Parts: sequence; structure tokens; C-alpha cells
Amino acid sequence: MMSKTDRWIGLFFALFSTYVCAESLRLGLGTFYRPGPGFMPFYAGIVLGVLSLALVSLGFFRNPEEGASWECWGRILLVVLALFGFMLLLERLGFLPSAFLFICFVLKVVERRGWGFSVGVALLVAVASYVVFDLLLKAQLPAGLLER
Amino acid sequence: MYGFAVALTWKNLAFAFAGVLLGTLVGVLPGIGPAAAISLLLPSTFHADPIASMIMLCGLYYGTMYGGSTTSILVNIPGEAASIVTCFDGYQMARRGRAGPALGIAAFGSFIAGTIAVVGLMFLAPTLASFALKFGSPEYFSLMVMSMALVTYLSQRSILKGIMMAALGLVLSAVGLDPVTAKLRFTYDVLVLRDGLGIVPVVMGLFGVSEVLLNVGVRIDREVFKTKIKSLFPTRRDWKDSSMPIVRGSFLGFFLGIIPGIGTIIPTFMSYGLEKRLSKHPEQFGTGRIEGLAGPEACNNSAATGNFVPMLSLGIPANAITAILLGALTIYGLQPGPLLIREHPDLFWGVIASMYIGNAMLLVLNLPLIPLWVQILRVPYMILYPLILLFCLIGAYSLNNNVGDVIIMGIFGVVGFLMKKFQFEPAPLVLALVLGPMLEENLRQSLLISGGSFATFLTRPLSAFFLIVSLAILFLPLFRSRSFARGER
Repeated sequence: MMSKTDRWIGLFFALFSTYVCAESLRLGLGTFYRPGPGFMPFYAGIVLGVLSLALVSLGFFRNPEEGASWECWGRILLVVLALFGFMLLLERLGFLPSAFLFICFVLKVVERRGWGFSVGVALLVAVASYVVFDLLLKAQLPAGLLER
Repeated sequence: MYGFAVALTWKNLAFAFAGVLLGTLVGVLPGIGPAAAISLLLPSTFHADPIASMIMLCGLYYGTMYGGSTTSILVNIPGEAASIVTCFDGYQMARRGRAGPALGIAAFGSFIAGTIAVVGLMFLAPTLASFALKFGSPEYFSLMVMSMALVTYLSQRSILKGIMMAALGLVLSAVGLDPVTAKLRFTYDVLVLRDGLGIVPVVMGLFGVSEVLLNVGVRIDREVFKTKIKSLFPTRRDWKDSSMPIVRGSFLGFFLGIIPGIGTIIPTFMSYGLEKRLSKHPEQFGTGRIEGLAGPEACNNSAATGNFVPMLSLGIPANAITAILLGALTIYGLQPGPLLIREHPDLFWGVIASMYIGNAMLLVLNLPLIPLWVQILRVPYMILYPLILLFCLIGAYSLNNNVGDVIIMGIFGVVGFLMKKFQFEPAPLVLALVLGPMLEENLRQSLLISGGSFATFLTRPLSAFFLIVSLAILFLPLFRSRSFARGER
């Protein structure tokens, strides 16, 4: 199923594969008798590159169908930001505060629930996860600010 | 018999029970799949012995197959990928007030299929292992190429895009330390990349996080059935209609599940297609035909068990999940491969016996606990999905106590989301990522032994066979129709 964006995606992969092949050459292809570290990525890159160009040309010369629908992309973006925010804060603040902030943010900002609900659920979830994963299952989550 | 002696200790029974219960729960919850669940539980298994841990993790895997069917039937949201097909007719049956028999047939069918498959596993794995001891590097290489070709061909979408994803997977599998020369490849001084990308964070991102992101964007009309689920027992007519599909599904699933690279999703789609083709009323499929439910449900359970055959006998993962289980074995200090059965018969037979027990537990668990699962499903998705994401974040972190893994998961979550939006199939990518290092190792060894000659792959009969099949699979559609690139069927 070809869509209009396939042309751009094909182009992206074509450029990516050029980079991969260049980097693989730098690593060294070795010989057929003793393939070097760049051997497999190089040939995989070639396959990717050739097929990407095929995708681009098919995208131009065939009638493309409608692309993907993008409802609620704003919310999805916010959730992604929340995810990366959690990752950045995890080791600095520790698991409990980060988990609390994450759940609170998603419920309050993304799902637009009230403060009481968001804070309450976030607190409950953060503490329960801590108990289950850190204390019971010994997952060794970072203590961060709460380190004594 | 020895296996039962191993499996029937209180400790191992408890682990089996925990595994199947958690597995069913995970299967019920949309947005968290077996891969995510296994990785969440992995750290907690480090304190237990390998046999108990494997029993639990295996129980979790086929437990998710059972659980997934519950949400597919009741809410039209697949609990995990292999249950997608169950939505087609299962949900329609529920809408007609036949949720009970649908759930019942799914449970019984799964039990029968699981049992048949375990018998198959019991006989096939040791035989295959002894046969595989004769495989050399060229045969392994070609077998892996064939697995990837099969998965790509069986992609629901375009084969062209599938091969692109497989090639990308091979490139990504090269990230990290080159095992032969110890040179760092594509790491750019990022510490976490030294050991490679890691299957678990990638899979959790591609399948777990991306699925949640997709569901955030969509208004889900979750009409969980308020009508009481009366009888869970299918009628005689239901049994009559379902018995052959269950048998066909079991065998199809098991034999396809054995082939490395197939997993469980592909066999269930094939089973659905088969039942539709064989049915006297194909036009009714999608409106609530019980055959459309019984066959695929049996199929996904037997495929999940079949997946263990190459894993236990050859050390080759059939899919991303068995790849994780293999990783778990190496963490416990066991060497997967054809010698595993010979050197650790207690592990092999213990896991087999616990599968029999696990299947029975699931049948007993599933039916009475359905009201509980229904309650869980009533929790609004807006509360569920942040929880699921949080569990994924915890799971990724607890692999190595490293934020780097969480970041990788996040990145691949976005990548997976984009892939699904633009119709690129993730399965070939994951397979290539998992098989890449072994593929490269076998390639290099083969070339070293043959003195740099590629002819070795074609002069050895089995290797040549695998390669010819691969080429045929990928290029046949090109000759048959113009639909090679469009992916139409």
C-alpha cells in the first residue's frame, strides 16, 4: 500500500543507507575469506538503499493512495514528551517523584482530568508500583532525591 | 515422567501458577504484551533457580494467548497481537449475545491445542536437536535467511517494505561490539550501545509503547458487555462446528510455530484464512462464525508451544519473545543450542511437564475468572494506558538499571508508532535484529571454512534448499502479479 509519504520515507532510507555504507567502509569490509566488521552492515545497507530507491520511484510513478490519518497527534506528542521527561528525571529525582509526575501529567494535561483525580491516582500508582517492583520484586529502582 | 517429578514440586507449581495467572492478566490488558511482561518479570527471576524461572516465563507466554482472546471477544481490542483475528468473529458473537460460548470455545480450543502441541514438542524437540547437531554454519545461515524470508513474505503489507525492514534490522543488529575484531560499530561513544541495542527495549518500544501511542490517538468505543455472560459452555452445535477447526488450527499452528521466524501472529491469520476457505459460508466470516474463532484460537496456543521447539532444540528463537527467553537462559548461565536437552534434561522435561500442567491450570482459571477480567476491562483506558507505559518504563530500566535502555525503548516506541502509521511491518525488523548476530557469525565462519567461497552455501544440499526456498518465497509474487510492491492480496 503506497502512500504519498512513501516517497519521502524512501528518500530518508536511501540517505540513511548511504550513511550506513559509508560508515561500514570506514570500519573495513575485510575480504571474503575474512569478512571485516563492516561486511554485513555494508551489504544490508546496499539492499536497504536499492529498495528505498525502488520505493521512491514507485511512489512517483504509481497512483498513491491516501496516507495515514493523524487524529489526536497533539495528545500523542504530549505523551511522548511525558515519556522522555520521565527518562530524563528518573535518575535525578528518583523513581517515586518521576512516576508521580508522569502519571499526573498524563492524567491532567493529556486526558484533562481534574487535579484531585490526577494527583490521587498518580500518588496511588507511584506508591503501589514502588512497593510491587522495588520492594517485592527487587527491581532496584533509583532512589534519587530520596536517597539517604 | 521425570519431567513431572521436576514440575510437580510445590515451588515449581507455584511458579507455574504465577506465570499463567500473570500471563492471562497481561493478555487481557491491551497495550502490554508478552514481551513487555516477560522483561518486567525477568529481574525478579534472577533470585530463583533457572528451572522455576523458565517455568514461570513460559507459563506467562502461553497464558497471554489465553488472556488475549478474552479482550478480543468482549471489547474488540486484542490483548496482544496474535488475538487480532479473534476480534473478527469473536466480538461479533458477543454482540449477538453469544459471548459465553465464544469464550468457552476459545478456552477449550486453546486447551486442546496446547495439549496436542506439548505432545508434539515432547517428541519433536529431542529428535530435531539430534538432527541439528549435524548442521554446520552454512546450514544455520541459510535457515536463518529462510526464516527472515518467510516472515517478510507473510507480512500483511508490502514485501518490498518488509525486506527493507529486514535489512534495517540487520544494520541495527550490527550496533555494538563486533565479536570477531572487537571493533565498536555505530556506537559513537554512547556507553549503552556498546552491548548492542538490546532486544528487550527495542521490542517493548516497537510493540508495547507504540501500540499504546496508537490507542491514545483513537477514540476507543469500549462497549464492554453489560449483559450477563450466561453460560460459558458451548452448545453441541458449537462443538460440531468447532471441532475440525480446532484440530486443523492445532496442527497448523504447531507446525508453523516450529519454523523459526513465524511466531504466533502469522499462523493465526493463516488459520482464519484456511477456515474461511474451507467453510460452506465464507461470506458469513466476520459476522460471528464460530469457526473463525475456534481455529485461530487453537492455532495461536499451539503455535506458542511450537515456538519452543526451535528454541529448545536448536537455540534459534522463533520470534522476539522466544528470543527474550533465550536471553534469559544465557543470563542463568545455560548455553542454548542442540546440546541443551542433553546437558540439562531436568530443564527441558520440567518445562514440558509444566506446560501440560499450565494448560490445565489455564482452563480452570480462565472460565471462572472471566468476571474478574471483565471488571479489569471496565477500568477506563485513560487510566490503564499510563499504567501500562509506566510498567514498560520500569521494565526497560530494570534490565540493566540503566536509563539508556529506557531511552532506546522510547525511541523505538516512536519509531514503531510511525512504522504502523506508514504501513511498515515491525516483525521482519525484529527477526533480523534477533537473528543478525548469529547470522553474521555463521556467515563469517562459513566463509572462513570455505576459504572465502560463497559456493559453500549452494553446494551443501540442505543449505541450498533453504536458500532456494527463500528466493522462491520472495520473488514468486513478482512473477505472479504486479502486487509485489503494493502488497495487495
